[in-house]
Amino acid sequence: MIEVNDLKKDYIDEGEVTSALRGVSFTIHKGDFVSIMGPSGSGKSTLVQILSFLDRSTGGSYTFNGKKIDDLSDVELAHIRNKSIGFVFQSFNLLTRLSVYENVEIPLIYSDVDPAARKKMIETAVHNVGLDEKLYVETAKLSGGQKQRIAIARALVNDPDVIFADEPTGNLDSVSGAQVMDILDGLNQAGRTVILVTHETNTAEFADRIIRLRDGAIESDTPVHNPRHSKNQFFK
Amino acid sequence: MRVSDLIKSSRATLKHGKMRSLLTMLGIVIGISSVIILMSIGASAQDYILSQVQGLGSNLIIIIPGGTNNGKFSSPASAQGIIVTSLKQQDVDALGRDPSVAAVTEESRGQGAASFGDNSETITFDGVPANFFTVRNFVVQNGYPFTDADVSAYNHVAVIGSSLATTLFGAGSDPVGQFIQVKNVQFRVVGVLEKKGTGAFGIDQDNLVLVPITVAQKQMLGVDYFTDVMVQANSSYNIDFAKARVQNILEQDHSITDPNKDDFTIETQQDVLSLLGNITNILTLFLAAIASISLVVGGIGIMNIMLVSVIERTKEIGLRKSVGATNKDILQQFLVESVMLTFIGGIIGIAIGGLVVGLAWLVITKGFAVPWTFEFPMSAILLAVAVSSITGIAFGIYPAQQAARKSPIEALRYE
Repeated sequence: MIEVNDLKKDYIDEGEVTSALRGVSFTIHKGDFVSIMGPSGSGKSTLVQILSFLDRSTGGSYTFNGKKIDDLSDVELAHIRNKSIGFVFQSFNLLTRLSVYENVEIPLIYSDVDPAARKKMIETAVHNVGLDEKLYVETAKLSGGQKQRIAIARALVNDPDVIFADEPTGNLDSVSGAQVMDILDGLNQAGRTVILVTHETNTAEFADRIIRLRDGAIESDTPVHNPRHSKNQFFK
Repeated sequence: MRVSDLIKSSRATLKHGKMRSLLTMLGIVIGISSVIILMSIGASAQDYILSQVQGLGSNLIIIIPGGTNNGKFSSPASAQGIIVTSLKQQDVDALGRDPSVAAVTEESRGQGAASFGDNSETITFDGVPANFFTVRNFVVQNGYPFTDADVSAYNHVAVIGSSLATTLFGAGSDPVGQFIQVKNVQFRVVGVLEKKGTGAFGIDQDNLVLVPITVAQKQMLGVDYFTDVMVQANSSYNIDFAKARVQNILEQDHSITDPNKDDFTIETQQDVLSLLGNITNILTLFLAAIASISLVVGGIGIMNIMLVSVIERTKEIGLRKSVGATNKDILQQFLVESVMLTFIGGIIGIAIGGLVVGLAWLVITKGFAVPWTFEFPMSAILLAVAVSSITGIAFGIYPAQQAARKSPIEALRYE
């Protein structure tokens, strides 16, 4: 599904070149749950930005579902982000002036889904994160954990192939964090590919495999022998 | 992105910051309402001015002494305050004999004081023949107009304007039969004119004294020429043909062979209407153009606020791009927001403009008793809507481009 080969990313600032990625290679298959770990400046954010089509590499190759990403235009990348990728951010990135319904609707607006068909899709996505009763509530009135669950509903609404979660529990208390990981684990067990960026080992161990980065290169790529599967109350 | 989604999204954004939206569109509201008010009042003023010319009578050809040197932009010498003595009784007699002419009425005008007892007023007096009243639509509402016999007999009789009657005799008094002094000549008032307003030559027709032309020429002004002559064309003749006949007759009478050297100027009522219509149109457009400067100021205000909005919503732009929005989607969203702001501003401006025009109409017609028409031209409304929308596009495009060009990563990182 995802294949990167000798992936590089250089930033040039006032003539000075900084290498954020120095030749990274790995493969992620459909249905994998992969954690990417590493200290600050290790290149994990850069890697996820490239994997999720928000940025382009400066070297190497990236193939997604058999398509070489370098050959695609910005509009085509936007289309893939819309259809095939779901994002969960540390800071939720919800539009607080809008209701839960309107926030979850945003990806559907850009995929040209008929407004009449949207309601069912939004209700299903919100139901899957267990917040049916909050459908028409302003997102500003939700707790942190509820906001992150709504962000997951937004990531799910277009039925994407891959969920990218960037420090999804970083701004949450332990109870809410556990709920969010429950959902991500459930999504993976239901067959969806999940790529998690985290610096917390406990959280990373929900995955089947952990890729550790240091100074823009892979330090280790190891399977997790006993993943911390959750109680899976949402997707079981 | 569907149009319905663009409108829904823009409406939600503008509704979220109601006060900001209202203040942002204020410039457009003021600009559009100013344009509407000026265009409406301009149209009403045009109607009023043209109705005054139409009120001169019908089928009229106006002859003014002095030529225009055939210059397009020069006026007759007499209109510039120079005394020209080229129009005389023999001209009137010659014109009266032509079959294309139904009637000829001439005027010798002067100014002086009119008084009754202690009351005095500076007025314009007009020496006119008896047919003046019918040809020029001057209706005597109290008393009667003087007759050909009065004119021939040099009778000192006068018909006065309604405002002058009130000034000299007081409201509700009957001046008919009373004696007034005009330029130290005594006249018996035989009639009072119906209210008529300011005439086509800028003369207050309600403050006028009409006296027999014989008396005015011989005993008051000491002249044998006319200030102007008006010919009523025979309705069975084409007005332009009648105009050409009048020109021919006067040239023969004045022994002029080169039309460029005519010592008179002829205009038909239609010429004057057309000229005045053009002038008032240009004036209205000129005023509307000045008012539209405020639209530019309003547009800059919109651009300013939209630029601030783009910065404030950087993270939102990043999010939208991360879930699939293209540059075009973002550009359209911000552009629709600015067009919606100016469009709503335009609608409010039209409503306020209509209200002010309506109030002005009420004050002018009821307060000042002027026959003012309520004009709210559709062209002004269409222009206002078009201009406000174009303003939205013109001043919204730059902020929208700034928003669309943002890199999704930079936008998501923005704090």
